Amino acid sequence: MSYVIPIGPYHPSLEEPIHAKLYTEGEIIKDAEVFIGYNHRGIEKLAQEKNFIQTLVLVERVCGICSHSHPFAYAQAIEKIANMEVPKRGQYIRVIMAELERLHSHYLWLGIAAHLVGYDSLFMHIWNVREKIMDILEAISGNRVNYGMIIIGGSRRDISDDLRRNILQVLDEFKAEHEKIKEIILNDKTLAMRTKGVGVLPKDIAINMGTIGPHARASGVIVDVRKDAPYSSYEDFEFDVPVVEDGDVFARVLIRALEVDESIKIIKQALENLPEGPINLGMKIPKVPAGEFTQRVEAPRGQLIYYVVTDGGQTNYRVSIHVPTFKTAPTVPYMLRNNTVADAGLIIASIDPCFSCLDR
Amino acid sequence: MQNFKSIEIKKEEIVPIAEKMRNEGRRLVMIHGYVDKEGQKIVSYQYEVGDTVEAYTVKGEDVLPTISHIYDASASWPEEELHELIGVNFEGLNMKGRLFLPDTMFEGKGQILVTPLNELVKKTQGIKE
Repeated sequence: MSYVIPIGPYHPSLEEPIHAKLYTEGEIIKDAEVFIGYNHRGIEKLAQEKNFIQTLVLVERVCGICSHSHPFAYAQAIEKIANMEVPKRGQYIRVIMAELERLHSHYLWLGIAAHLVGYDSLFMHIWNVREKIMDILEAISGNRVNYGMIIIGGSRRDISDDLRRNILQVLDEFKAEHEKIKEIILNDKTLAMRTKGVGVLPKDIAINMGTIGPHARASGVIVDVRKDAPYSSYEDFEFDVPVVEDGDVFARVLIRALEVDESIKIIKQALENLPEGPINLGMKIPKVPAGEFTQRVEAPRGQLIYYVVTDGGQTNYRVSIHVPTFKTAPTVPYMLRNNTVADAGLIIASIDPCFSCLDR
Repeated sequence: MQNFKSIEIKKEEIVPIAEKMRNEGRRLVMIHGYVDKEGQKIVSYQYEVGDTVEAYTVKGEDVLPTISHIYDASASWPEEELHELIGVNFEGLNMKGRLFLPDTMFEGKGQILVTPLNELVKKTQGIKE
């Protein structure tokens, strides 16, 4: 018997609105369509009316989870057009914030994944450990989200020596907890049975669809802007880009657990070798000539792209924002095919989607 | 260090450049678009070449060939989006319908970026009524 089953735009297993139509034969999904746009706020249009300082505040609100990545990318695009060089200490602080953001984002999603497979004790444990990172973010910036740490020309707040020592200590505690969580992820039968072989995205399809970030790396595609086109001193740090070949939901859980280790490595190196000197070029409204630049940043979910066009005036002429979910959402219909209806919510969530980002 | 290089091309060069880039294994970073001060539609095809983004820009065209047969969803989603934002039509693109905007807005097609905000508000209120 054939049915068309609508999921969303509002559904218990979806954290944000998306609408999927599942074309099913009995329990099996034969085809699917994805509809987006339920969070469209016209942010790109609004950015054309704002000056460069106002735009930083605006783009920080594109997303609540990767709220550092957006102004990070935007500020670098403006700095490139205006030919500004951010002081090394400012660059390192930006990197520390970006990697802390990756930690809390990956932990947020790992928790949700545990919840979706019905393993709620693991979900609560992961989110409890995540609080350590949230506390660090709050200690540095004063906020748990929308940190306001980026200004044009550098970072807004410095990290004191005392705070630096505290963060290193908390990171050690976090790392010890992470090892235990990783062991559960690698060895737990419930998690494996629910996620292995589910929602597979083969490597060739991932390449063909141009997908990026952990989603691509879980399908064996080596792609990471931090290595491919380093920015903000990422070339100073030693870290690996983990890749898993299987392409199923389990691989997407595993890749994030492995990436957490690499982010801890980067943060520790940045904190231990934090250069002396200023953190920014001063808090003035920048003079930005006419120009254009595309800046790419490796946000927690993958490559975040900001294309900025200026005309020599006080406002942006064009700010084109493309988030990782723009490149990962198109793979959802493929992954849903030949899976069961019961796994649909898990498969959609497995791309770690951010539809608020995507719709912007 | 990331770099950016912009090259102006003609509409006829879009598909051959996309095929060349694909054969070389280059990633299509994004297709961006906007309308310049003279009212010309600018569409920028941006590819990743090492640490540089090479932007191949076409100016003043209302109809462009699709490259979705070469770059799959990597191209079809940006093309659908550009149709909604600035009203460029892509020949050969299999449109699914609206990507971001409601079907009822602007009679089902584009120009959100070039419509003044106050007009957008009126049109949105029109939908609610």
